[in-house]
Amino acid sequence: MTGPARAELSSSLEHLLAGYAIASVVGIGIGALLWSLRYLRDATSPYLYFLYVLPAPVLVPAALTLFGIGFTMKVVLIAFAALWPTLLNTLDGMRGVDQVKLDTSRVLGVSPLGSVFRVVLPAAAPQIVAGLRNSLQVAIILMVVSEWEASTDGIGYYIVNAQQSFDYVGMWSGIIVLAIIGTVANLLFVIAENRVLHWHYGARAAEGTR
Amino acid sequence: MLGRYTHVYGLRLAVLAAALGLWQGLSAAGVIRSDEFPSMSQTAAALWGQASGSSLWGAVGETLEGWALGLLIGVAAALLIGTLIGMNGFAYRSVIGVIEFFKAIPVIAILPIGLVLWGATLTMKFALVAFAVFWPLVIQVCYGVRSLDPVAADTTTVLQVRGARKFLTVILPSAAPFIATGLRVAVAVALIVDIIAELIGGGTGVGERILVAENAGPSAYPVMYAYIVVAGILGVLLAGAFTVAERYALHWHESQRSAKTEGQNRDYPEREGLTLVVQLSPGGTTPGRAGSHARLAIRRPVPPLVVLVGRLEEPVLPAAVVDPEVAMDPVGDRPGSRRALLVP
Amino acid sequence: MKVGDLKPDAESGQEVTPVVSLRHVRKVYTSPVRSGGHGGPKVALQDITFDVARGEFACVVGPSGAGKTTLLRTLAGLAQPTSGEALFEGAPLRSVPPGIGVVFQDYGRSLYPWLTVARNVDLPLRVRRVPRAERAQRVAEVLGSVGLADAGRSYPWQLSGGMQQRVAIARSLAYRPDLLLMDEPFASVDAQTRFELEDLILRIRQEFGVTVVFVTHDIDEAVYLADRVVAISKSPGVVTEIVDITLGRPRDQITTKADQAFAHYREHLLGLVMNR
Repeated sequence: MTGPARAELSSSLEHLLAGYAIASVVGIGIGALLWSLRYLRDATSPYLYFLYVLPAPVLVPAALTLFGIGFTMKVVLIAFAALWPTLLNTLDGMRGVDQVKLDTSRVLGVSPLGSVFRVVLPAAAPQIVAGLRNSLQVAIILMVVSEWEASTDGIGYYIVNAQQSFDYVGMWSGIIVLAIIGTVANLLFVIAENRVLHWHYGARAAEGTR
Repeated sequence: MLGRYTHVYGLRLAVLAAALGLWQGLSAAGVIRSDEFPSMSQTAAALWGQASGSSLWGAVGETLEGWALGLLIGVAAALLIGTLIGMNGFAYRSVIGVIEFFKAIPVIAILPIGLVLWGATLTMKFALVAFAVFWPLVIQVCYGVRSLDPVAADTTTVLQVRGARKFLTVILPSAAPFIATGLRVAVAVALIVDIIAELIGGGTGVGERILVAENAGPSAYPVMYAYIVVAGILGVLLAGAFTVAERYALHWHESQRSAKTEGQNRDYPEREGLTLVVQLSPGGTTPGRAGSHARLAIRRPVPPLVVLVGRLEEPVLPAAVVDPEVAMDPVGDRPGSRRALLVP
Repeated sequence: MKVGDLKPDAESGQEVTPVVSLRHVRKVYTSPVRSGGHGGPKVALQDITFDVARGEFACVVGPSGAGKTTLLRTLAGLAQPTSGEALFEGAPLRSVPPGIGVVFQDYGRSLYPWLTVARNVDLPLRVRRVPRAERAQRVAEVLGSVGLADAGRSYPWQLSGGMQQRVAIARSLAYRPDLLLMDEPFASVDAQTRFELEDLILRIRQEFGVTVVFVTHDIDEAVYLADRVVAISKSPGVVTEIVDITLGRPRDQITTKADQAFAHYREHLLGLVMNR
C-alpha cells in the first residue's frame, strides 16, 4: 500500500538533506561568528529573533515567485527556515559557556581560536544539538509545505494530489509514510545525540546523585 | 551604563535603516527585478495601505481566531491530561510511549485529514492547532509534575502537606517552569500551524492573503510581502506578550531573576510600593554572565509589582533556546540556572 | 554511661519515655549502577541503638559516608529501617508524625521559592487549620525568635544563606514540634554566620523547650551544642560511643571553647571519628 508513496520519498528526502545540511553548517558558522563579534551581535539580534519567530511557511509563495518550481526553491526554503533555531541556539550556547573554563584554557596556554574549537564549541554542544533537533523538525515541515503548492514530485505533492482526487487510501499511505519519517528522524537524532554527547549525560548523571 | 544602552539601540536602528536603504537601493538600481521582488518603498506603501483599511486587521483577526481557539483547547487538554498522567506512575509509564509516537508525527501530515473532516473552515484550523499543540505540551506537563525536587518533596512530607493543597501549593508551582517552557513553544507552534492551515488548507487569515496576493500576479507582490512582514510581527508580538506574562508569573524562579549567586541580591526586603528592576545589560538568563541591574523603589501604596524593562530581544527569546544542562536539576540552586528544560 | 541508658527524670526519679528510641536499626539499600556505583546492596546502617530524652540536645557525628543522613531520615519517618525498631514517643514510625520538624542542609531546595518567607512559615500552620489571626501572630513570633522580624514579605532567594536557614528553622518551629531534626544545617554557611546560628539554635532550644537531634560532621560544633554526642562509625555503621558533655550552660563561643574540658572532649571525639 505504501509503495507509490515511498517512491516519491526519495526526491523529498534529497531536498530535506540538502536544505538541512546547508542550514546546519551556515547556522553554526554564523552563530559562532556573531558570538565573537559582539557589536554585530548586539546590533542584529532583534532581527535574528524576528526571522526566527516568522512562521516560515509564509515564505512559500514568495519563494515560488523568486525561484519558480523546482529543486532550488525547495532547498532554499528549507535551508532558510531551518537556519534560525540552529543559529540562535549556537549563539546562546556559546555565550553561556562557563567563564572558569575559558580562564582555565587561557592559563593552559590555549590560543583564542583554539579555545573556540576545544572549549567553547564542545561546551555549547548540548545546546547546539538541541537547536539542530529543532531545525530538523522545521525542515521536515517545510519539506512538505514546499511541495504542497506547486510541485511535480515529492511526498507532499503525493498527499495533496491524492486528497484532491479523493484517493483516500493514497492519502493515508502518504500520511503514514510521513509519520514514519518524522519518528525515524527523531530516533536517529536521539541515537546520534547519545553517542556524541555521552560525556555530557554522564556528567549530569554523576551530579544528579548526591 | 545608560549610555551604553542607548548606544546599542542606536546601532540597531542604524542596522535597520541600512538594510532598508540597501533594499531600496538595489531595487532602484535594477539589481532586483521589480517584477520579481518589490522595492522597499512599494512594500511599505502596500503595508500602509492595508493597515489603514480594514483588510489587514480583518486578516489578523481571522488568524488570531484559529490561533486562540486551538491554543485554548490544546493547552487545557494538555494541562488536565498531563497532570492526571503525571501524578500516576503507572499511567505515565503505560501511556508515555504512545504520546511520544504522536509527538513525532509532523503535524503537516495531519492536515489532509483535517481537510477531509472539516474542509477549509475555522474548525479545521483550530482543530489542527490544538492537535499540534497538545502532544509536546502534555509531555512537558507530565515531566514538570513529576520533577519535584527530592528535598522539597521531603519537606512537604514533613510539613504534612497533602492532597489538593500539596498539588496547588507545591507540585504545580514546582512544575510551572516546565509548563511555561512548554507553553512558550505552544504559542509559537500554534501560529505556525495556523498559518500553514491557511496557506494550504484554505482557511481565512494572513496566510490566505499572502496566497491570494501571490496568485494575483506581480502587481500584488508588494501586498504579499507586506503580509509576510505582518506575519512576522504577529509572531514577535505573541511571543513577546507571552514572555512578559511568564516573567511576571514566574518572577520567583531563577531563570527570571537577573540576580546571580547569594552574594549579589541579598537584603532587598519588599517595600511598600512600586519596585522597578531595570535591566541594563544582557545576560540575565545566561549562566556565567552577570546581568547588571538597578532597583529603584518608589514608595507608594501600590501592590508590589515587578516590571522588567529589558532589551527588546529578551522577551522574544525563542522557545527552543533552552539549556539541556538543567535536565537533572530542574529547580537547581546553581546560580543562573536556566528556565526549565524543554523535554526533547 | 552505657549505650541506651535513659536519664531518670530529675524530679520523680522515674524513667521517662524517651522522645526518640532506636533499637538495632539496620538500613540496607541497593545503590543504582547508573550513578557510578557498583550496584548491589549497600549497608548504610548496621546496628544503631540509642535514645534521646525529652528536652535533650543530642548531636550525631561520624565520618562522611557513615550514614548520618540516612539515620536522620529514619528518625524523621522518611525512611523505614530494614530491620530493628525506630520509635517516636513510644510508637513505631511508619510515616512522618506531625510532631517532628526537620531542617535540611540544602535550604535552597527546601524553602519554596514561589512563596514569600511569611507564607513559607505559614504553610504548616495552614495545614493544621490554625485560624488566620493566630497564624499571623505565630508567624511573627517565630520569625522574631530567629531574628527575621522584618523579612516576612521577602522571598527566600532574596536573603543571604544564613538568613534562609533561619527561615527554614522558623518554619520548622512554627507548629511547635516535639522533636527538631537538623541535618548538617550549618554546613553550607560561612564560619562567622555558623557561630551566630549555633547560638541561635541554643536559644531556640531554651525558649521553645524542644528536643533536638543535630547531625554534623563538625566536632567543635557538636561539642559546643550538645548535651550528649552520639558517635557513629562507617563500616560497620554502629554507635561507637555516646559521650556526655558536661560543659555547663549557657555556652559561649569564646569562653566555652577556651575551656580545657572542651579540648578534651574534642580530642576524644575526633579520635573516635578519625578512627584512631
